[in-house]
Amino acid sequence: MAKQKPDLPQGTLDLLVLKALSLGPMHGYGIGQRIQQLAEDMLQIEEGTLYPAVYRIEQKGWIESEWGVSDNNRRARFYKLTRQGRKQLAVEESQWEHLTTAVAKVLRAT
Amino acid sequence: MAWWKTFRDRIRALRDSEAVHREIDEEMRFHLDMRADENVRRGMSPEDARREAERRFGRLTRIKEMGYEVRGGGFVETLWQDLRYGVRMLLKHPGFTFIAVLTLALGIGVNTALFSVVNAVLLRPLPYAEPERLVQLYEANAQQGFDRFAFSLANFVDHRDQQSGFEQMAAYHRWNANLTGAGEPERVQVAIVSANFLPLLRVQPLLGRGFLTEEETPGKDNVAVLSYGLWQRRFGADPGVLNKSVNLSGYVCTVVGVLPADFQFPDPFGRNPLSEAAPKVDLLAPIAYDPKNLGDRGSHFLQVLARLQPGVELAQAQTELRAIAGRLEQQYPDRNKGWTVNVFALQDEVVRTVRPALLLLLAAVAFVLLIACANVSNLLLARAAARQKEMAIRLALGAPRARLLRLLLTESLLLALAGGAAGLALAYWAMRAFISFSPANVPRTDEIRLDGMALLFTFSITLLTSVAFGLLPTLRASKAGVHTTLKKGGRQAGNRGGRPRTRGLLVVAEVALSLLLLIGAGLMIRTFISFQRVDPGFRTDNLLTMKLALPFKKYPQPHQQVAFYRQVIERVRALPGVQEVGAVSDLPLVEGGFFAFIIEGRASASAQDDPSAVWRAITPDYFRTMGMRLRRGREFTEQDQPGAVEVIVINETMAASFWPGEDPIGKRIQIYDSQPMPWREIVGVVNDTKEAGLGAPTRPEIYVPFSQRPRTAMTLIAHTAAGPEQLAGAMRAAVQTVDPEQPVFRISTMQQFFSAEVAVPRATMFLLGALAVAALILAAVGIYGVMAHAVTQQTHEIGIRTALGATQRDVLRLVVGQGMTLSLIGVVIGLAGAFALTRLMTSLLYGVSATDPATFTVIALLLTGVALFACYIPARRATKVDPLVALRYE
Repeated sequence: MAKQKPDLPQGTLDLLVLKALSLGPMHGYGIGQRIQQLAEDMLQIEEGTLYPAVYRIEQKGWIESEWGVSDNNRRARFYKLTRQGRKQLAVEESQWEHLTTAVAKVLRAT
Repeated sequence: MAWWKTFRDRIRALRDSEAVHREIDEEMRFHLDMRADENVRRGMSPEDARREAERRFGRLTRIKEMGYEVRGGGFVETLWQDLRYGVRMLLKHPGFTFIAVLTLALGIGVNTALFSVVNAVLLRPLPYAEPERLVQLYEANAQQGFDRFAFSLANFVDHRDQQSGFEQMAAYHRWNANLTGAGEPERVQVAIVSANFLPLLRVQPLLGRGFLTEEETPGKDNVAVLSYGLWQRRFGADPGVLNKSVNLSGYVCTVVGVLPADFQFPDPFGRNPLSEAAPKVDLLAPIAYDPKNLGDRGSHFLQVLARLQPGVELAQAQTELRAIAGRLEQQYPDRNKGWTVNVFALQDEVVRTVRPALLLLLAAVAFVLLIACANVSNLLLARAAARQKEMAIRLALGAPRARLLRLLLTESLLLALAGGAAGLALAYWAMRAFISFSPANVPRTDEIRLDGMALLFTFSITLLTSVAFGLLPTLRASKAGVHTTLKKGGRQAGNRGGRPRTRGLLVVAEVALSLLLLIGAGLMIRTFISFQRVDPGFRTDNLLTMKLALPFKKYPQPHQQVAFYRQVIERVRALPGVQEVGAVSDLPLVEGGFFAFIIEGRASASAQDDPSAVWRAITPDYFRTMGMRLRRGREFTEQDQPGAVEVIVINETMAASFWPGEDPIGKRIQIYDSQPMPWREIVGVVNDTKEAGLGAPTRPEIYVPFSQRPRTAMTLIAHTAAGPEQLAGAMRAAVQTVDPEQPVFRISTMQQFFSAEVAVPRATMFLLGALAVAALILAAVGIYGVMAHAVTQQTHEIGIRTALGATQRDVLRLVVGQGMTLSLIGVVIGLAGAFALTRLMTSLLYGVSATDPATFTVIALLLTGVALFACYIPARRATKVDPLVALRYE
């Protein structure tokens, strides 16, 4: 394993998936790629965790899926954010900011 | 609409789970391809690229399964699987399923049926607006032992005018009239009601109007309102019936209205179901009275209904009326001394006499349901034990605990639903049976149907039952640790552990409950036998009775009435097959009235303190016709005529009460049955009879000769050689040769009245007996099941014991001892419960105490015997255990 990559805290992956899909509908593979790009390769998303997360989020009704055609002209299952998912994203974003600010404050103390 | 999409997916997955799997596969394959392409772009060989992509993916199968769980079947599919599995399991064990469903069906079905009955008869509000505000009022006199006595007109008017707690107070009395003109003369039931009677009940006539207040005035009261039934039957539902005339025993009335079809007369029904007070009314007519002359305050004949003011409590209104009664008592001590007023909710009054029996049956049915549940619970526990290994293996293979719980609960639910469905069918049948079984005086039986409430009730029972017996084994089955169970290597875990204790408790409960039921049934059987053994004091077989009531307008003179009945009796006596014929003013078991009297030389301080006795006018042959026995003196003869010495005959109780140790013959009394009151001489004493009902105490009784005290209404009684009912036609014809316009009614054999007397105890006995037998069978099956299972589980132990030299006797004693310990604990608890509970049924019992030692002993022995038998069969099997086989069984 070339680089040391941190484990994601519980629930964070959901936030990332929602964020990735807020930029536009995407298939599972693309979601992973997009998160990796946005994180400038500082994160690597394991398929073994990505798909369970995606399915879980779909069950909650925050995203929905349908079959479409990928860039390379292949049939693929595309996920997109639902209205409910968009709301959830806003909630989770603000929670995340609150949390990181708080954690950062604590860590900055000497 | 995310849920809708989810639901659609689920259903699709149910129909075609393959497609969902294919789609997930495809998605994964797409991912792998994309990753491999990417790897190739980064310079890997195609093979390496592929392998790296797969490695990254990890547990592909698990991911696919998760995807399917979310997108495909999920809960719906699991449920479907569980259902199919459940059905298969039930079908694979048909014996178990059959007994379980049958047991449940019995409990649920009988419960629903009885609940439907109780709901219609006891619980459902009466069919009037705001029925909870309707009450029945009675005058009451504690000294004389009356808690429900009719009002006198004067007292009614005073109470009505002085009270403030009631919106309205209405009075009525019943009258039987001969309806003549246009067709056969017909005996009709008339209710003479105050004008506010219909408004009080909030009943609107279907046609025309009710009565006006001014129609309560004598001379203006010649109007009538027809019942729907009479209007249909007699007037062919003619809408032009209004303003037509009807002839009621010579009174001509104008029809002003017709009652709606569903109108029910709010009668607290009569004592004997066949008596005239049966709540069927053909016509209403207004009460007419002169407010300045309300008649004798001591003449009680009015039933009083009232509607409470909104917000006024029954007790409040009663307090007010009692204050009024107190003032009237001061004002009229001669007539009102000791009289007060009782108020009862109308709903309770209507069902008063059958309520205890129905509640008893309802309790009995609840017991049967409990026993049924205990049995099914036992069956399921036994099966859970047998399946413990299966469950342990499922758990070991990774089935989530919740999934197993759900599987087992589904099975229980399936059973309960099947039991519920079968129960509903049984309920319908049992309800029909109950209706046909119920004595005629159970009110409102025509309203009984399996209604929504009963359905809801059944369904609740079904669900409760399934939870009750589904949860217990399920919890136990899933709690058993994987290791313990598997380590025991298939032998059921915990022979001495918690499970046998639970099942033992269930057996104890079953035995206790069925003992309670059996004792209840035993007491009812004793009651019934006591009733059968009662000597009514007159013959009950081969007597045909038939009532007549002469219209007063046509036969106003006493000698006309006497002449009419003499002719009729002569003609009836001439009929072939008739041995004796007599007539009586009030037929024993059916009707009866009192009169106060004064004994010569023993005048009371006030008229209120005068003793009273049951009074009957009879023809000379009455005693012989009824098979009664003369104790002293003589019977009446044809010489006891008006103008001759006035004579009476009394019964033994009267002789013993008023002339103890003396000869009453020749003593004289004055009776308040006529004005003026001549001295009348006692010429004879006859035996006591159960004229007021088989369970009622014997009262002093006076007989007067019909010729000296004629009545318009008499009951003819013919003693026949055989088959009295066959004479009905000939007897009616004999009456109508004397007067073709004279209807006869209430034609019945004495045996029928006698049967009606014991109808409630008989029906209660049969129903309770059937329930008790069902309980006994269920309990026996329960004991057998538990012991049979225990023997199977202890095969190993028994084998070792036998190998070590235990005899068949020892084994028998071991197994029977276990079962009988449980049974005897149940018997003891049941006996204690019975001691506490049977006194609640005291009002239903006759001739036997609620804690009758003989019944308790016999029933306890019977149940012990049955339990012994149920234990013996599995015990016998245990003795056949071959130690070699048992040990190899390991």
